[in-house]
Amino acid sequence: MEIIARISKGSKMDQIYIPKQRNILDIGEYVTIKPLVLENNIDRDYEKFYFYGIRKLEPIKITIIKEIIRYINKNTYYENIIITGSFLDKGFNFKDVDILLISREKVNKHLLENSLENKLGIKIHLLILDNKSVRKGLETDPLYQSMISRCVAVKRIAPINKHKINYKILDLHLLKSKILVDNFDILDGKEKYDLIRNLIAIHLFLKGIKVTIAKIHKEINLLLKHSVEEIKKNKIDKKSFLKKYKKLYNEASDKILKGIKYDSKQK
Amino acid sequence: MTQNRNKFIKLLIGNLSNSVVHRILEKSISKEELIDKYRKEFIASFELAKRYREKINPIGTQLSEKNSWFIRNKVINRVVSELLLRISKGYENIDINSVEFEVDKILKEIGVV
Repeated sequence: MEIIARISKGSKMDQIYIPKQRNILDIGEYVTIKPLVLENNIDRDYEKFYFYGIRKLEPIKITIIKEIIRYINKNTYYENIIITGSFLDKGFNFKDVDILLISREKVNKHLLENSLENKLGIKIHLLILDNKSVRKGLETDPLYQSMISRCVAVKRIAPINKHKINYKILDLHLLKSKILVDNFDILDGKEKYDLIRNLIAIHLFLKGIKVTIAKIHKEINLLLKHSVEEIKKNKIDKKSFLKKYKKLYNEASDKILKGIKYDSKQK
Repeated sequence: MTQNRNKFIKLLIGNLSNSVVHRILEKSISKEELIDKYRKEFIASFELAKRYREKINPIGTQLSEKNSWFIRNKVINRVVSELLLRISKGYENIDINSVEFEVDKILKEIGVV
């Protein structure tokens, strides 16, 4: 049971009146007061959404984003909601909607994911993190940086001040991209693109460059001599591509392992 | 169909190998924030491996002895070579002797053996 009440203006202090006849909230009990956010606020606040690295977004996608935010707003506490991933690409080739929910409270991920999926009829991929982990991730993880470089956020995302290289974390991300070398023939274009993007993001991060989707795509063109579209359509010449890819992979791997060695000597 | 099966077995091997490498590296470090990261990466690779396992018949029961030995040997070889590479570059506290134990454990967890 809960009581909804209105704040009224007082002479020295403002107050909230609640009925005397009630089953809960005894005299002397401590309570939490928080705003009851009205659904309409989402429409009013729409102008305040923050768009990062997005020039244009289809109106239907904006409607979907609003629905997502409205639903989360109604059902859980959050500090920020960030929509990212292929959903924001031009057209309708996305597989799911990637949502990063920043909250310090415990949220039932599967329940929220399933109810959003049932409501919207779209596959939802929900990631829940607290603000501290996100900040740390942005400083040390190229994948976080690329994720945030193209997104829609309910609240402004504070810029990253530090760029810390943690070689052990990079080592573990890089390992994923090795799958492409061993399984080139069996991976489809989208799977290949994901692994290539991962490698290029690490490559940029190691150079101390802020990782964005735009920079990754530019670098793919430049270093691997293939456009993102060609990769996604799986139109790549295996021999010449793998030669360049392995070179890049080995360079990144060598740098990382040297970094790990150097770090362990410093201790 | 057979071609698809082989594809999924190869992808299963790749992701199982990554999971085991992450699990062993996790045990080699003491920094709590990194342990957490390795654990998350282990889960991500393991979840992917599970998805591929679900596409390989027979589902819900263990694979044939021939298939499971093939997968086991491939995973062990990959994990060992990844770990040896790291040891040669100065990565410390890696327990190379635990590879077979960890591989057998994960193969059981995923329903290969």
